[in-house]
Amino acid sequence: MILGLTYPTAGEIEVLGQPVGSLAARAQVGFLPETFRFHDWLTASELLHFHARLARVPADIRAERVRELLALVGLSDRVGDRLSTFSKGMMQRVGLAQALVGEPRLVILDEPTSALDPIGRRDVRDRIRELGEQGVTVFLNSHLLSEVEQVCDRVAIIDHGAIVAEGKLDTLLSAQEIEIRAGDGAEAAARQALGDAEIRALNGRLRVRVANDDETAILVQRIVEAGVPVYDVRQVGDSLEDLFVRVAERGDV
Amino acid sequence: MSTHLIAFFTLREALRRRVVLAAALLTFGYLVLYGVGVWFGYRDLQDTPGGPPGLTEGVVNLMLVGGLWSLNFIASVLAVFLSVGALAGEVDQGTLHAIAARPVRRSEIVLGKFVGFTLMLAVFIGVSAGLMILIVAVITGQIVGASWSGPLLMLLASMLLIGLALAGSSRLSPLPNGVIVFTLYSTALIGGVIEQIGDVLESAVMFNIGIFSSVLVPTRAIWDMASAQLAAGGFAGELSAGPFGASNPPSGWMLLIAFLHLALTLGFALRAFERRDF
Repeated sequence: MILGLTYPTAGEIEVLGQPVGSLAARAQVGFLPETFRFHDWLTASELLHFHARLARVPADIRAERVRELLALVGLSDRVGDRLSTFSKGMMQRVGLAQALVGEPRLVILDEPTSALDPIGRRDVRDRIRELGEQGVTVFLNSHLLSEVEQVCDRVAIIDHGAIVAEGKLDTLLSAQEIEIRAGDGAEAAARQALGDAEIRALNGRLRVRVANDDETAILVQRIVEAGVPVYDVRQVGDSLEDLFVRVAERGDV
Repeated sequence: MSTHLIAFFTLREALRRRVVLAAALLTFGYLVLYGVGVWFGYRDLQDTPGGPPGLTEGVVNLMLVGGLWSLNFIASVLAVFLSVGALAGEVDQGTLHAIAARPVRRSEIVLGKFVGFTLMLAVFIGVSAGLMILIVAVITGQIVGASWSGPLLMLLASMLLIGLALAGSSRLSPLPNGVIVFTLYSTALIGGVIEQIGDVLESAVMFNIGIFSSVLVPTRAIWDMASAQLAAGGFAGELSAGPFGASNPPSGWMLLIAFLHLALTLGFALRAFERRDF
């Protein structure tokens, strides 16, 4: 919809201050489709030149831009080769260069590393971070949550077409889980202390979701006050994947 | 406007994908075969004494119109094959996504493709029909069919098919679209034959069926106009009717209907493609 490829059934969208789908909006957007299929009779250089012209890149800087971008994605040695001879990974890299050819202010990357090897993935992650540093907004759509965690500032989780969690990554992940090893009666004391908090007993240990460190302190204090010995308390790291699974399965953040 | 970019891109794709090369090679082979046929046919005609006046002229004319009829058929097939998957086919393959996301109007994509295919067909018809007229002129010493209107009408017939195929392609994937366009094309072809038989038998129903098919898809009617332009008058004109053209060429109204048809199909293609989701 941001790209004007599908139409909204209701409501209005603005992209960089322009109505969605308008030429002015699309002129500022770069896009790497998930399928990254391009006309394979073109050479890498021809593809970028064609897209540069469509994106209205001035003629005098076009050749330079194309050269730079092909170098950026590591395809300098394949400039004149037809895309039909490219591997999937190379196709995805030339697709990334294509997305950047119009110097967009917003880049939409749909699964940009799905065909890349680990080194290629790291390269793309570095490129995304560089774009972010240059003030370009990168919209990364990915199922690789570790990748999202590594490059994104803000995250939205979409389940069945609706945003179920959205916000800055560190805020979303600030809710943490602690594991407590304590004597009998710890679970009852914890429930009394935190009420409806999520508490699970696991192999004689308690797993409790807390909002912050203060809650942890209060919880431990209450268990001790109830006369239950506490042997060990440690934080269990929460990853984006944990968050995703929790949100998708139970609908809470 | 990016129409010229898309048109140029479409042309280049056909060149690069060797569509043009294959068509050129096959047409060259056909022209050689045709030249040999005309040469032997003309020699036999010279050896046969007698016959009504104007027989030689008529047969030469018939040979040219027949040859051009085949070229027109090849052009029609080429037009359908090139354009039948031009929109939906590319959307299905995903090759149009990155292009449509650029600051390019959907209408520019449709018109660019139409212009690209039309230019390609113009070159194909211009070169091959020109060569065919030249072959006949060199072998027989008679210059027949040397008018612009004949080949231009042939181009119009191809443009009608491109418009029809693009209209279908804005919604349908290549296979069903191809089936529909070829069926309509065949309907027009058969309709023309029924019209001719109706004319001979003086059957109003058959005649009207033919007219109706021509309005539905005017390709055959436009060819009939082209062949009437290519044929000389009198006996030669009578002779070159029959399988390759109507004995009564369609009226000028048919030209108007053809342009209306083109406007309608292109209009539909533009509108439907504008509204579709990728």
